[in-house]
Amino acid sequence: MASRLIGKTLLTKSGQQCTVERLLGSGGQGEVYQVRVENQLMALKWYFPQYIASDSELRKRLEDAIRKGAPTDRFLWPLELVEDPEKRSFGYLMPLRDPRFKSIAGMMRRYIEPSFRALCTAGFELAHNFLELHSKGLCYRDISHGNVFLDPDTGEICICDNDNVDVTGKSDGGVFGTPRFMAPEIVRGEAYPSTETDLFSLAVLLFYMFFLHHPLEGRKEAEIHCFDLPAMKKLYGLEPVFIFDPQDNSNRPVPGLHDNAIIYWEIYPEFLRELFTRAFTNGLRDPEGRVRESEWRKAFVKLRDSIIYCSKCGAENFYDAEKLREGCSHICWACNSEIPLPPRIRIGEAVVMLNHNTKLFPHHLGGELYNFDTPIAEVAQHPKKPDVWGLRNLSQDTWTVTRRDGTVLQVCPGKSLTIALGVEINFGRAKGEIRL
Amino acid sequence: MVLNRRPGGEVSARPLHFIWIADCSGSMCVDGKIQALNQAIREAIPHMREVAKENPHVQVLVRAVKFSDVASWHIPDAVPVEQFGWKDLEASGATAMGEALELVAEKLKIPPMPERALPPVLVLVSDGQPTDDFDGGLRTLLNLPWGKKAVRIAIAIGEDADHEVLERFINNPETPVLQANNPEVLKKYIRWVSTTVLKTASSPPSQVGAGASSAAYVPIPQPVSEPEDAEDVW
Repeated sequence: MASRLIGKTLLTKSGQQCTVERLLGSGGQGEVYQVRVENQLMALKWYFPQYIASDSELRKRLEDAIRKGAPTDRFLWPLELVEDPEKRSFGYLMPLRDPRFKSIAGMMRRYIEPSFRALCTAGFELAHNFLELHSKGLCYRDISHGNVFLDPDTGEICICDNDNVDVTGKSDGGVFGTPRFMAPEIVRGEAYPSTETDLFSLAVLLFYMFFLHHPLEGRKEAEIHCFDLPAMKKLYGLEPVFIFDPQDNSNRPVPGLHDNAIIYWEIYPEFLRELFTRAFTNGLRDPEGRVRESEWRKAFVKLRDSIIYCSKCGAENFYDAEKLREGCSHICWACNSEIPLPPRIRIGEAVVMLNHNTKLFPHHLGGELYNFDTPIAEVAQHPKKPDVWGLRNLSQDTWTVTRRDGTVLQVCPGKSLTIALGVEINFGRAKGEIRL
Repeated sequence: MVLNRRPGGEVSARPLHFIWIADCSGSMCVDGKIQALNQAIREAIPHMREVAKENPHVQVLVRAVKFSDVASWHIPDAVPVEQFGWKDLEASGATAMGEALELVAEKLKIPPMPERALPPVLVLVSDGQPTDDFDGGLRTLLNLPWGKKAVRIAIAIGEDADHEVLERFINNPETPVLQANNPEVLKKYIRWVSTTVLKTASSPPSQVGAGASSAAYVPIPQPVSEPEDAEDVW
């Protein structure tokens, strides 16, 4: 039945003509085609009749989603239903996925190699966009690395397959999730998909992206010979143990089998390790104990602010305040050299490393949350003295600066201030202090 | 400059052995059956690669056994699907199906099979009746842990295939023998085992909840049923 659609013209619910051009892909529920509607290219998901028969809520769910509209532009959201003249099936229109978005599976296989900076942005974007979805009382039901795509250059994400989205906690119909990503209580058959179970799947996806490994695959996985559905049920549902559970070392990663987990655990700062530990200890046992999207969002912004570059090889590494407190140096993961720390600025709770490419955004100064389009400061090189680095004022406000010797300066918009130890900057809403 | 922007390797993957077990007896010459089989498998390879590429947790390795008067390895080494190419089969002689299963069983012993893997997928394609000790071969296969755990699929080509034998090979009443009476249907089934079955064995898809059928949504054969008992983990 598949390719019979190609070349046909179908009608959308509002009566627009929709010409089917080519098959883009197929899955368990149906197929996705490229279509032309009013001279605009779009995607059409077209269901197998068998799937429609098995999911009685599908049409209503789609109509609800279309009525509610996309939570953000990162979702390839259903726009309109498309009907089959023979009434055997139906489908929906959605925007086409921009080819700059690549599969996370490709990242797992290392065909796609985003920088740590892009990855932090992707982590932030995932948390932010799922928060927007959940804020509408909806849950996604099937967060996995098959449904999210990322632009490896920028870290922007694109969330596909939104036809499972439903009101949180509903028991009837729809998917329950993808093995490896489902919350343990769903694997055990004790719960239905909800915002809380989405939070577990989100944490697994984030762990995969940052550690290239599954958070529950340690010695217990190594001991399983045949990795089939019963094995998965045991590992992810009946006896789940986080590989770095501080109270339970029964499932530590096995060298030679789970090296990525071991390598990455050492690289990230303590605050991120603590967050993932909570996600997969309390969060395994208690759905209420899961890390919320806003916590992930804050953590990935902080992680991005913690990036430092190795002066020998240029690799991205992470500043860890804990290391500094313990008197340990930062050693580059790529070339093993000790990394001299760049200057950093403390603004309230936040510490931002001042690298050659650092920018400060409104949220750093207590302003509008997470607007990354309009930086209010950036690190800049002196035009005549390349050894001198400064912080350029990109905001509309004049900064008042107090130097270590007590002298006070004004930095007007567009001007830069030399980065020096102990300099205090009054940005208006917030104060920052430069440390070396 | 560093080569990789981030450390470590690929996400860890387990091997999945996919074995074609192809009948090359004389009757496969009739009506271009062997040519249709060659064509169908060759056509399915890129789709198989696509499935493997989308699933980072699996490393798909393919090989093939052929049987007529005797059974022998047609493609003896397990070739990563990315490099796998099909060599044409030729038909003549009898139907040494039992010996073919013995050969497969040899490869499913530990070693050469690793202790940690995904369930192997064994696809038996036949148009006739075994002329050797089928029961002995089947017993050897099913007595092995990996033989037992394997996802076993059988395709019957034409009306003369012995369904009872193929059902015993499958050894699971929920998985029917796939009956292919013409090259188009054969092509469809070969494609189905190369994609949907491979996908299911390597990583189960999104799980559909209560109220929905557990059947696959691919509008052809029954899906491979999976054991549900966690005690079955070994």
